[in-house]
Amino acid sequence: MVKLDQIKISNDGLTKFFSPIEADIMDALWESGDMLTVEITEKTNIPLTSVAGTLDRLVKAGFATRHVENVNGRVRYVYSAAFTHDETANEITTRVLDSLVDAFGEVAVENFARYTGKNK
Amino acid sequence: MTLLREIDCYVSDCVIHSPFAPYIGLFAAASVLMFIAYFALQRPEHRLYTFAGAQVSMTAAIAISFIAMTCNRMVTIELYLAYAGISSIIMFTVPRFYDRILIGRLSARQLSGLIEWPSVFVKKLTNATVYYFDSAVPRAFSSGRSIFVSLGLLEMLTCDELRAVLAHEAWHIRHNSKTPLLRQLAIMTLTSHQTSALESLADEFAAQVVSREALASARAKLEL
Repeated sequence: MVKLDQIKISNDGLTKFFSPIEADIMDALWESGDMLTVEITEKTNIPLTSVAGTLDRLVKAGFATRHVENVNGRVRYVYSAAFTHDETANEITTRVLDSLVDAFGEVAVENFARYTGKNK
Repeated sequence: MTLLREIDCYVSDCVIHSPFAPYIGLFAAASVLMFIAYFALQRPEHRLYTFAGAQVSMTAAIAISFIAMTCNRMVTIELYLAYAGISSIIMFTVPRFYDRILIGRLSARQLSGLIEWPSVFVKKLTNATVYYFDSAVPRAFSSGRSIFVSLGLLEMLTCDELRAVLAHEAWHIRHNSKTPLLRQLAIMTLTSHQTSALESLADEFAAQVVSREALASARAKLEL
């Protein structure tokens, strides 16, 4: 989960900030919108027992939301991403940049400037 | 040191001249013997009874020495009695309302507000209320007169499988209400090797009430 002390810089893509299962679930939610638990397990190809605890954590941390639906006397969770992919990227970036500036001050800011220069 | 001197004073001044003194010795000796037996014995129920017996004898010995005392310098024993009294009350009453605490902690709600039939089904087996709580992890357990199931469990099981799980938990509640003190003692004395025996009895009951297949498939799903 996105905790600044647990960023794994050498990992690929979202797994820098999320565990692989969390990243798979978030990708699925961003891609498909509202999803039932079954749909998530099918799409991510991860068994329910591994997904269940992770879903609880994602909801608790505020990255995913869920509500309960009662379909023909059967109870179903419906999941969706709490924020869009871009909003989440924005949130993570801000937090990481803040911590860099906090730690290195001017040096960090100079490096950002170099970055914006490169992009242009 | 002052404590030792104080105890010595109780024994030499206050207690030894009392007509109750032999009874104190008797109960204390019985208690020590039963404690030795508790450590020597293997079978859970034997250990259970010797432990309970040792506790009761020790409490009796303390209570009698309390009565036998002729002096009033007995702070330590008063403190010990207060401790023993309060902790026994807590140990025997907390399990009775622990389900209330769980309801608050899990923000559990009555399942009848969501789906009707499980509560009706459980009511037929025992006097208990079914609660659900917000978690995708499939779990079911009982406490006091309440059965708790997670929404993940409701989502995952078929009606028959859920019936089997509820019957299993209902059996636990029946069993608890029959022998609450024994169960409590079993936990205190760490003799709960019998939990596996309890589980298989609960399973047996569930298999009878619903069906062996439903129970087996529910188990398979939960133990994946």
